[in-house]
Amino acid sequence: MIIRPRREDHLVIGKYTGKVIVGVGLLMAVPLLTSVAFGEWDTAVDFLISMAVCFIFGYGAQLLSRTESDLAWSHGLVVAAGSWIWATAIGALPHFLSGHESSYLDAMFDVMSGYTTTGLYMLQDLDHISYGLNMWRHLLTYAGGQGIVVIALTFLFKGTAGAYKVYVGEGKDERLLPNVIQTARAIWLVSLVYLGVGTIALSITGLALGQNPVRAVLDGLWVFMGGWSTGGFAPQSFNTAWFHSISYELITAVIFIAGSFNFALHWAVWTGERKEIRRNVETVSFAITLTLTVLLATFWLAKSGVYPDAMALFRKSFYQLASGHTTTGFATIYSRAFVTQWGTVGMLATTVAMGIGASACSTAGGIKGIRVGIITRSFVADVRRMVAPESAVVREKYHHIRANWLDDGVVKSAMAITVAYVSMYLLSALLGALYGYPLVESLFEGVSAGSNTGLSCGVTSPFMPAVMKVAYIVFMWLGRLEFMSVFALLGYGISIVRGR
Amino acid sequence: MRRIIALVAFACLLLAAVGSPAACPAKTATPTTSPNSPTSAELVEHPKQWDGETITFAGEAITQAMIRGDHAWIHVNDDAYYLKNVEEGAPLGGYNSGHAIWLPANLVRKITYYGDYTHEGDVVSVTGVFNAACGEHGGDMDIHATSLDVVAEGHEFEEPVSLEKLGAAVALVALAGLLWFANRKATHADTFGAAGNSKR
Repeated sequence: MIIRPRREDHLVIGKYTGKVIVGVGLLMAVPLLTSVAFGEWDTAVDFLISMAVCFIFGYGAQLLSRTESDLAWSHGLVVAAGSWIWATAIGALPHFLSGHESSYLDAMFDVMSGYTTTGLYMLQDLDHISYGLNMWRHLLTYAGGQGIVVIALTFLFKGTAGAYKVYVGEGKDERLLPNVIQTARAIWLVSLVYLGVGTIALSITGLALGQNPVRAVLDGLWVFMGGWSTGGFAPQSFNTAWFHSISYELITAVIFIAGSFNFALHWAVWTGERKEIRRNVETVSFAITLTLTVLLATFWLAKSGVYPDAMALFRKSFYQLASGHTTTGFATIYSRAFVTQWGTVGMLATTVAMGIGASACSTAGGIKGIRVGIITRSFVADVRRMVAPESAVVREKYHHIRANWLDDGVVKSAMAITVAYVSMYLLSALLGALYGYPLVESLFEGVSAGSNTGLSCGVTSPFMPAVMKVAYIVFMWLGRLEFMSVFALLGYGISIVRGR
Repeated sequence: MRRIIALVAFACLLLAAVGSPAACPAKTATPTTSPNSPTSAELVEHPKQWDGETITFAGEAITQAMIRGDHAWIHVNDDAYYLKNVEEGAPLGGYNSGHAIWLPANLVRKITYYGDYTHEGDVVSVTGVFNAACGEHGGDMDIHATSLDVVAEGHEFEEPVSLEKLGAAVALVALAGLLWFANRKATHADTFGAAGNSKR
């Protein structure tokens, strides 16, 4: 029997969703101040309107949902998934009001893409947008990478025990510190320190490359945000190809690879456990699958003779594959060059890399290295069991922060999420094919959306059918929240209608 | 439950009002098309066909030049916005599209305006060799130009703030302030009420 949620359930969900949306409104202060600093008054008014709408919704929700009850597990999942929808709907206002979007749906697409650190976009004439709007695009992806709920946890939740339930609902389950609020703050500490260091490195490089000082610093900040969050947004339509520099490519690669690592791994390294980098199942899995996919693409591109020498070949191949595997989406080639130069094998190698993705509890998407590692080890254990004497007990371990036993529950959970991701990828490919896109291209693009990567081969565009835009928004949302929270939200909706 | 439905309905109405076409007028004119043959899109679509060919490519110089020694990089867009951009009221016509141009630094000095939020950049015409994957520049797709002419000078502009938008902003900020105050008062009352109850 489905139990209909009580009034108290609605109130708890309304109250905490309101808090998250107030957090989104507060975030808009950064682009608002940027616009004011550069005298972009029309953009400043857009942000004023959007902030006000966030506060009206957020405080209105809190006023209408007065309760002292704390969050239960189901509430946490529903708040996490629901907040992302509301934050997308309201966060799309600055995009829409800018006049650079064809429809409100396109604006929502861009904001969901930002929050989920995907990097696909619908915004048109990117090269003429304001600094304020560019700041908002990159802040969205930086904040989305940490998790918008993490932001609210850090600044707006006051020591509630239920906070952990919302945190988990956002696809993160590592507790770096005993208290979840402290964990959220630790995530911010790590991210802000890297933000400072990364921005300085990119700004100095930009100046050396001939950029003017204002643009060098802003591009440095924005490219860092796009890289660290594995979002892949860049301030120009040329993406990172704009810079024509191996130094810039190397720095961005270090940033997005670091951003794709588990926050628990960062914390372990910060607290002196440097060996963890070599031993962790996720980094080992990432190193192996990245090497294999780079080799495959490099072999194919060498055979096709696309690039003039080995250095150019490796530089293009490694950057695109590492960007795809970390689900970043930075590119130093044109989108259509995947089709016209990389060909079927190059595209499939990139698709596999994007589909696997990087680490759990990071800013990255995809199936995740830990699941690939667990499933591979489980397969190895099964083979060992088959060849071992009948009386032998074969048990397998994997290393993630500490040594963990590979029990059936862990394998089952990894398999379930992997099957969900693969099903979503196939569904996205089928949808694209039904709309007449070539299968390889629709698979590439669908996997890119579902794994929150953002590399494009040209399928995504403002002229794409609306159904595909809606489907990609859902795929980005499902992929980022790893299904469970979204299913909980659906269950909540069904129980309102059909529950007793 | 009724309050939740009311809240959702209110939020939808608010979004519908602020995000309505009236708030962001539709631009219905036909987008400008590329002046080039081959266009930037055709070069990307058929790179082998044009690799090593000398071509003339025209479009808007955007953002800035990056001078590297005696040469420089500029980026030239031949998209729907190369004559007039969205901020100036051009209709939406898809993504930006253009090419990277590598040319002698002294040619760059001819350019006065680069396109960005407050500028429509100079329209320039360059002639040079198209490289599908340039050996000198790490496999980048680029054009090595030997000449540059400014076809049309760009200009500075400022987007005016619409009074309707400003009015809406003032009204919404006032409403947000009221709700913030009401929420603060209610929270205060809850805290004191709870403290009073616990004392009793």
